[in-house]
Amino acid sequence: MEDLAKHAIDQALKLGAEFADIRIESAAGINIVVMDGKTKTLNVSRESGCGIRAFSGGAWGFAATNILTQASVKAAAASAAKMAKAARAKAKVKFEISDVKAVRAREEYKAKEKFTEVTTEEKLEYVMSQDKAMRTLDKKITSTNARYDDLEAVRVVANSFGTLTHTTERWLISMCGAWAKSDGIVQRGHASNGSVGGYELMRSEASQNLGRQAAEQAVRLLDSKPPPAGKFTVILDHKMTGLLAHEAFGHACEADAVIAGASVLEGKVGDMVAGKGITMVDDPTVSNTFGYFSYDWEGVKAKKHVLIEDGELKGYLHNLESGSRMGLGSNGAARSQAYNSPPIIRMSNTYIGPGDWKKEELFEGLKHGMLIEGAQYGYVEPAKGQFMFKGDEAYEIKDGEVGQRFRDASISGLILEVLKNVDALADDFVLTDAGYCGKGGQEARTTDGGPHIRVKNLVVGGLA
Amino acid sequence: MVDLVELAERVVKSVMKLGPSDCDVIVTDSTYYTADIERGSMKQSSAFKDPGVGVRAYVNGCAGFSSCTGHDLASIRKAAEQAVELARSGSPDKDFKGLPEKARPAKVAGLYEKRVAELEPADVVDMAISMADGAGVDKRIHSVNATVSAGSGEVALANSNGFSGLQRMTSFEAIADMVAKSGSKMFSGIDGCWGRRIDPKALESVPREAREHAIMGLKQTKISTGEYPVVIDPLAVGFVLGETIGIALNAESIQRKRSFLAGKLGEKLGSDLLTVHDDPTLEWGSGSFSFDGEGVPAMKKVLFDRGKLKTYLYDSYTSGKDSVRSTGNSSRGGSMWTFRRPPSISSSNVVVKKGDAGIEEMIRDTRTGIYLRLTFDYPNMATGEFSGLMMESFKIEDGELGHSLRQSTMGISMLDLFSRIDMVGKKSRVAFGVTAPALRVSRAKIGGSA
Repeated sequence: MEDLAKHAIDQALKLGAEFADIRIESAAGINIVVMDGKTKTLNVSRESGCGIRAFSGGAWGFAATNILTQASVKAAAASAAKMAKAARAKAKVKFEISDVKAVRAREEYKAKEKFTEVTTEEKLEYVMSQDKAMRTLDKKITSTNARYDDLEAVRVVANSFGTLTHTTERWLISMCGAWAKSDGIVQRGHASNGSVGGYELMRSEASQNLGRQAAEQAVRLLDSKPPPAGKFTVILDHKMTGLLAHEAFGHACEADAVIAGASVLEGKVGDMVAGKGITMVDDPTVSNTFGYFSYDWEGVKAKKHVLIEDGELKGYLHNLESGSRMGLGSNGAARSQAYNSPPIIRMSNTYIGPGDWKKEELFEGLKHGMLIEGAQYGYVEPAKGQFMFKGDEAYEIKDGEVGQRFRDASISGLILEVLKNVDALADDFVLTDAGYCGKGGQEARTTDGGPHIRVKNLVVGGLA
Repeated sequence: MVDLVELAERVVKSVMKLGPSDCDVIVTDSTYYTADIERGSMKQSSAFKDPGVGVRAYVNGCAGFSSCTGHDLASIRKAAEQAVELARSGSPDKDFKGLPEKARPAKVAGLYEKRVAELEPADVVDMAISMADGAGVDKRIHSVNATVSAGSGEVALANSNGFSGLQRMTSFEAIADMVAKSGSKMFSGIDGCWGRRIDPKALESVPREAREHAIMGLKQTKISTGEYPVVIDPLAVGFVLGETIGIALNAESIQRKRSFLAGKLGEKLGSDLLTVHDDPTLEWGSGSFSFDGEGVPAMKKVLFDRGKLKTYLYDSYTSGKDSVRSTGNSSRGGSMWTFRRPPSISSSNVVVKKGDAGIEEMIRDTRTGIYLRLTFDYPNMATGEFSGLMMESFKIEDGELGHSLRQSTMGISMLDLFSRIDMVGKKSRVAFGVTAPALRVSRAKIGGSA
């Protein structure tokens, strides 16, 4: 791989590129889906290929091939250089990629038990066991879906500054979904657990309980009602706080959105964008998380990014390009879904730091509000400054007491207002919610988290 | 040059020697070019060639699937062995009744445009620049972003029942995202076109629409929580209806009773104004094909006929289980198909029948209400309840389009949405795989921050 990388970079430079880099990958993984007690999908994929970028005076050429012969890789490098040159002629904005110190590193993600050494039969047995746990929990369970995915990939990143990183990455995730029915009403529950590492994760108590959790949630939701619509003071659990951090603020802190003129946080570094006492972090270096990485997809060493400190916006997430254009250098936030996609700026493990309130204190004195638990999905348009995210379960709060259960509460808010409306943070921090984030047609594995927090003036979307 | 059909047929034969009851093989060879404009400047030109093979094999009704990149015979052999081994390790499934029989693909025009196939990266760059220039000069426009993507290639499919076929396909997509700014106010307007050919008119209208909506969004207001009539733009109809039909009418969701539309076949669920087709024969449609992902000939079918639910979407497995014919809705993912995943059920091109109302008339007639242009939310498919953010929406006041709404949500059950359609636009457009006019819903619950 290293030789191929060198040939590709030399070729791109020879053809006029000012900077060039390459990601060569070889990956294999399995996807197992069991539905209603039967195997639905048993899928093994094998991918290998490389993506080469050439940079010239403000524009990039990117070429990918999945044929890893020297001739094919050289041809892709030539194609990238040619496209960069052609694009440069049309680029109105000129800039350079600042020289950075070469990184030489080799890393293999740790695993006590490599999943490549676990048989398909044993993995299937685990998925079957979770499916069975759902089906046998309650007679009201009508349908089940249990899933397991793993992937091991070897990735070489090299660039014309002399960087050469070699990473053996491995991650796995399990997900369960259960449907329950009673009196003509159908509800769905879900649960998941994922991390980098080895198969020991699937032997953990958390993974062994996923089926039960999903089925219990589906049954619990049978007596729920659609939430009322309107403006509320809302208490968010760990997962919803994490989703708020990710959607409401994290995406707007990605420097590519800022450079594109598509983030309401442009020009706001140093401004108070949140209440005093609020800290927000994106940190790929937290071990045993789904969002972990040690070197980013441009070969830059990963580091913890404090985005908001005590309410003040401290900076953005950068790659080589945005770091060069803003004169700050990359802080290691470039990621690609696979070799065939160019690296873009992504979050990793995103969270809001803990406060000093006890969870119970958030409820005290709250006359009318809502508690929202469990994260479904969310999205944001940083240029519109608006975001939404949806919880699994919601509860009415009246005079500090938790009451009626609701389902599918969606919440909308404004990026520049929401964190100023956080008036209490509990001390019960958890970084837990593993999932995927989509951006620019690429998916990245991420984790979100935080403490329970209380937020004023959030609009809850509902049918009632 | 590899003959893809010959390769697919050869792989089927070699897989069957390994002992499965059935198998199918997809072989693809596609090339993609993309150009990105960032803040008005040419930013990135990309090219990707993506040959690959996917093998699905059945043993005792259980499917195993394996894929590999490239057309290298050693890798294909490994994928074939892996697929059969996986099929052997799963649980038997009596509901699998076999893959589709050999059939002649339908004649469908507009799958392939030579002009798209002959594009070079530099041509795609020029189109993206021309789109960005289409934003024109307006001091309120803060940023102009655009992407143009073109794909071309061939897909061969063969199965153990003797079916084999080849489709030459192209795809073309253009998206513009303009950001307007005035003082502390900021808003973005998005528009796009999706199809299998270059649409010169769309290349002009997409940046214009994106610019106009970015500027329109600068005048902002809030709304009080309450019930309002909602005029839903084809963009929002496309996203919400595309998601709903693809999942809730999927026979797998129905058979497993995960969909709010389970058990409702033949029932009148919507207003007389709601007629919807699934049509893979639509000329230049991004979801069009001559045979589906399992080799079933393309066929147009009515999903809702004046509000009455007429059919679910079937592939070979679910149709065998229900003892009905497959509707030809097995999808290999996206307009250019992929070798990377096993097929799954999906809609092709969803087409909502046009009505007779002009958009101005719909707004004028509404008097006081909401115009929803864009949302990226979808309903809870088990309950059919929709509760989501109106990402781009406008207040309708005195029969005219007013200011854009901030932090507003819409809540409605999809069954209520279907039955409360009381006006349908006379002009359609394509968005997110759905060809639809604007629809007016007589009332929905709007959550507001005023």
